[in-house]
This record gives sequence, C-alpha cells and structure tokens, in this order.
Amino acid sequence: MLINQTAVLPERVVILGSRGFVGRATVDLLRDRGIPLLTITSDEIDLSVAGAGDKLAERLLPGDAVLLLSALTPDKGRDIATAQKNLRIGEAVAAALIARPVAHVVYFSSDAVYGFDTTQISESTAVAPTDCYGGMHLMRELMLKSVVKAPLAILRCTAVYGAGDTHNSYGPNRFRRQAYKEGRIPLGGQGEETRDHIYIHDVAHLVLEVLMHKSAGLLNLASGCSITFWDLATKIAEAAGKPVEIAPSPRGAPITYRHFDVTGTMKAFPAFVFTPLDRGLAEARAAELG
Amino acid sequence: MLDPKVAFVGMTHLGLNSAVAGAGRGFSMVCFDTDVALIERLNAGIMPVVEPDLDALAAKHRDRLTFTADPAYLRTCDVVYVAPDVATDDQGGSDLSVLDRLLSLAFDCARDDAVIVVLSQVPPGYSRAHQRPGRHLIYQVETLIFGQAVARALNPERTIIGVASPNDPLPAAYKAYLDGHGNPPLLTMRYESAELAKISINCCLVASVSVANTLAELCAKIGADWSEIVPALKLDRRIGPYSYLTPGLGISGGNLERDLATLVRFADERGTHAGVVRAWIDNSRYAKDWALRTLHQVVLDLVKQPCIAVLGLAYKQDTHSTKNSPSLALIGSLGPFDVAVYDPVVPATAAPHPQVRAASSELDCMRGADALVIMTSWGQFKTLAPAAIKAALRGDVVIDPHRVLDPAAVRAAGLRYFTLGTS
Repeated sequence: MLINQTAVLPERVVILGSRGFVGRATVDLLRDRGIPLLTITSDEIDLSVAGAGDKLAERLLPGDAVLLLSALTPDKGRDIATAQKNLRIGEAVAAALIARPVAHVVYFSSDAVYGFDTTQISESTAVAPTDCYGGMHLMRELMLKSVVKAPLAILRCTAVYGAGDTHNSYGPNRFRRQAYKEGRIPLGGQGEETRDHIYIHDVAHLVLEVLMHKSAGLLNLASGCSITFWDLATKIAEAAGKPVEIAPSPRGAPITYRHFDVTGTMKAFPAFVFTPLDRGLAEARAAELG
Repeated sequence: MLDPKVAFVGMTHLGLNSAVAGAGRGFSMVCFDTDVALIERLNAGIMPVVEPDLDALAAKHRDRLTFTADPAYLRTCDVVYVAPDVATDDQGGSDLSVLDRLLSLAFDCARDDAVIVVLSQVPPGYSRAHQRPGRHLIYQVETLIFGQAVARALNPERTIIGVASPNDPLPAAYKAYLDGHGNPPLLTMRYESAELAKISINCCLVASVSVANTLAELCAKIGADWSEIVPALKLDRRIGPYSYLTPGLGISGGNLERDLATLVRFADERGTHAGVVRAWIDNSRYAKDWALRTLHQVVLDLVKQPCIAVLGLAYKQDTHSTKNSPSLALIGSLGPFDVAVYDPVVPATAAPHPQVRAASSELDCMRGADALVIMTSWGQFKTLAPAAIKAALRGDVVIDPHRVLDPAAVRAAGLRYFTLGTS
C-alpha cells in the first residue's frame, strides 16, 4: 500500500539509470514538467565498482528525491554473476544514502519478486522469487528499507512495452519487431500464458505521481488487464498490415498465469487513467515503424 | 423463581436492544449506564441506535424499563447482564477496557447471590480469568445482527451458555429469564467452548460468503449467473436453505472482523493452522473494492470530470453503523471527483470526501450524475423506478452490487447495469 505524503514538486530528482527504457521516458516527462533533474549514468559513476557509494554521496543534496532505476535487466542475464553485480549497485546506493540522506527515495523493483503460486497479484501478495533476478530485486528492496529513513517507495513493475525498448523480451515489443521484420511471431507452446503489459507512458506517469506525492510504501506497476501471448500476438499480427504467421512450438515449461489487482493504484492516484492495450500498441507501432 | 428482575449494564447497541426485548417479554428491566446524559436521553424516549421496532417496543413497555445511572439499582436484581459493545480497531483488535470496568462494577454492586452474565463478545479465556470465588459468572453468546437486533433478542433461535462446570444446573432465576424468551434450546458448555462457539459461527458465515464472492466473480467472467446457482445449493441438505450465499462487498460491521482477528491471533500463538482464515480476510479485502474497480472500468477511466452518485453510507440496511462500510471505503477513493451521497439515516458528513454533496433524496442524489452506485440495500431504494433513474442521470451506468433493483427493468430502461455474480 502506498501512502502519499504531500502534493508538491520535489526540489530535484536524481535519476540513477537514466539511459534505460524507463529512464529515458521518465527523464523526458520530468523535463517536460520542469522538474530539476540530475541524471547520473554508468559512464559517470559505475555503481557496481568499489568506492561508487562515496562518489554518489558527493552528488546528493538533502532535498533530493532519488530514483533508482539502475539494474542489469533479465535480457543481460538471470545468472548469479549478474545478480551479484546488481547487488553491488544496490549496496553502493545504500552506502550513499547512509552517508548523505535525502528527502525521498523511489526504488524501481520488479514483479519478479512474486512467484507463480498466486496468479492474482496485489501489494499484499507474499513475495516468492523463483530466480536470481527476482531474488536480487527483493534483496535490494531490503537493503534500502534497512538504511532509508526518509519516505521510501518501492515500485514493482511488470513487463513494460512501448517504442524504444532496448530489451526485446518475449512480449509486445519483440512480437512487433518480429511481425515486421520476419513476418512470423514464434510462441512458447500455444501462447497460453496470461501476462499483464503496462505501457511505458503509464509507467513514467506513475513514477511522476509517486515523486510528486512523496509517496511511501509499496505499489505494483501493472495495467490490471492480462492477456494470453496468443491473443497478444494475434492483435499485433492483425495490425501489421501484412500476413504474419503466428508460430506455436512444443511446450517446454508448464503454463503459468499472472493477473494484477490494481486497486492499489486506483486508491493511491484516483485520477490516473491507464492506457488501454490496443491504444498503447498502436502508439508504439506508430512511433517505431511510422 | 418465575419472575426474576434483570439488569443490563451498558446501554450501547447490544445492551439496549437486549434489555428492551426483555421488557417486551414481560420482565422488569433495569437499564444501567454510567453515562448520565445517555440515561437522560433514554428516559426522554430518545434511542441512540437505529433498529427496526426498537423505539416502538421501548415505548410500549416503558413501565417495565428503568433507565438509571445509579448502580444501587443493581442490588435489586437477580440477574445482571454486562453487555457493552466492545470497540474494535482497524485490525479487528478488541478494546476490552470498558467491559472490564463494567464487569467489575457489576460484581461489586450486585448481590452475592445474583447471577452475573457477560453478554459482550470476548476472546477465549476471558470468562474463566474473570471469575470470582463464590460468585455466579456466566458467559452467554450474543447473537445480535445489526438491523435484526430486536427480533433476534425477542426470539433467539438458541441460547449458548458458557459456565465454569457444564454439569451443574443453571441458576433458577437465569433459566427462568432465558425460558421466558420462547423456550429456545439452551446449549450449556464450558466457558472456553462457548467463547469459541461464537467465533465458530462467524467463521462459518464468512466461509460461506467467501465461497459466494469467489464463485460470483467467476460467474461474471464466464457468462454464468450466481443467482441461478444459489437455489440449487440451498436445496442441498449439506448446505441448507438459510446458508449465507449472497455475494457481497467484504465483511464489515466490526464483529466478524474481530472474530477473524482473534482466531488468527490464537492460532498464531498456539501454533495451529489458520491459512484459510487469512484467505477469507484477503477475499474480503478484495471484495470490498469491487465497486471501485467497476467504477474505474466503466466510468472513471472514460469520462472527464465524472460525477458519481452514491446511495447508502451505512455498512448495511436498517442500521446507522458505518463500521468498515464499503460505501465509505469507495467514497474515500473518489477524492478528485464530484460525489453526491444520500442515506436515509447516516448523515453525509460521515463520507470521507473533501467536497461531497449531501443530497436530500435518492433522485436529488443522482441528478446529473454519470453513474449511480447503490452501496447499501435500504428497502426504500428498491422502489426507485428505472425510468426515473434514467431521467435523472446524465450518464447511463447503474452499479448495484447487492441487486437492489430489478436488473431486467433497469436494462429495459436503457441503462447499463452492473451487479455481483453476473456479467
């Protein structure tokens, strides 16, 4: 559950991980709103190496809101080494926040902290990560909880889609590119799994809401509308404007389902309106393919 | 003893309704409370709670009711009930301090041979821990239902009695008083069993409602109608005609929440499995937000500057109570929007909204609104004509979780109708 503290603009937002998919969209939105920003890229401070915490602390001010987006995403690896590197990033940020406390911290976590035993996820769902990536995010959440005295918001985000995504994970963005480049969308099994996909525009706006309200607590970032990969591929194929083959494959893993109860978002930000999937897909297609 | 004199200590919902029902059954009742102002209002005929038939029954049997703040009256009584409502917090925890104080007062002020009866809801272990040597202490399970308090107190379906030693006969005065309520079956058991019996009853009710909520939601997703299924279940002897199978907006009112919290606490302390109880609590939390989810889906995400009309603020019909009311929970999540409310009993000031409009009637409430949401099943709402609703609304959405209105008639009037248990 998220508790909103105020409704004022932060003095400055420090964004760690500003060059990623979510980072770029958030930077654009915050700049558009005239919010002072400090973006710190890995070229400036490599948060995964020794001494990074001290360097980061030097850049922080007491009135800052720190948005931690930096993470090696699953497409870079779900192995132990990648998780360890991500944990070092978390450790460096925690060290910086101990040395130089700030006014607000927002951690961009992942729905990978949840397992698949519970198919309808809400903020009250128990965590049960099934791989190193999910475990890493949970550990980073705990690191920040243990050191941050200011309001701390943890945002557990489901799969994000939209133009400009660099991850190319199994889902809307990869399907769209495959449909146009290859005329073929390969599916795992018959694409029976249900997943939630949230539009990048909505993610950035929810991050903005959290920053503007100095929110504290836990919020899942999801649209509340799940769809099977088969239906998703069908939507994308039908919108491609050319014949696209949807190619099932022999099933290798058990079918899993995931749905989100997003009443937590409705209560935290009653006026927020989610972008419907069809419109988000159309906007992404137009932005990326013209 | 055929005509015992009986006192009730604590003139809140439970004590007042029980005492008035005792008068209705022909007994002379002492109605005691330490709140002098409350006693003055009661003596003036002003009832502090809303219950069907309460005012009329109290007026009819006024000569048998002695409202007093003087504890000396307790010495004249053969049976002294201690029956204040036990307040609960948001987590269902009980505040027993008022009960403790009044029970101590009853022991001190009543005769040594008087029977002291705790009627308030207490956790297992309370009665034995408060027993005094040489005194009669009994725990009687209260069966109050908001909106039916008088009827159930006049005609209890059974009376569950907790005593120190179940093999001992009940005191004559106490038994005469119980038998004077239509000779209900008397179930005598040890204190701890009676204390847990109340929790057990409520757990069975919550389990049934959770089943109904779970299946009603699925009905709406697959084209079934829960209302068509319920009669089939009620004809099953293992389920029964009076089973709680109406889907709802989560448990509310405070009492069920308290029992679930007590059960979870005891299970945690004693190391017994309570996973299913936690699942009921989670189901209730989810069910409570059905109207909010529906409202977002069909109005709030689609209409700019929407206006919402909410009928009903009480947690259910025929009561003034708003404890854990789904209506107030909904309104609390509509902060940025225009909201109008109307409840026959509860004032609009109870609504947690910065600029709620207090309507003077049902139609005034819905005038110009994009959606009508009926959150409490007040009987008078059933008489609303769909055509009048259609004419009053700006939009065409009616959200009626409890199916107060006739779905077919509402749809025939050209309105979009949303209820629990069907799509």
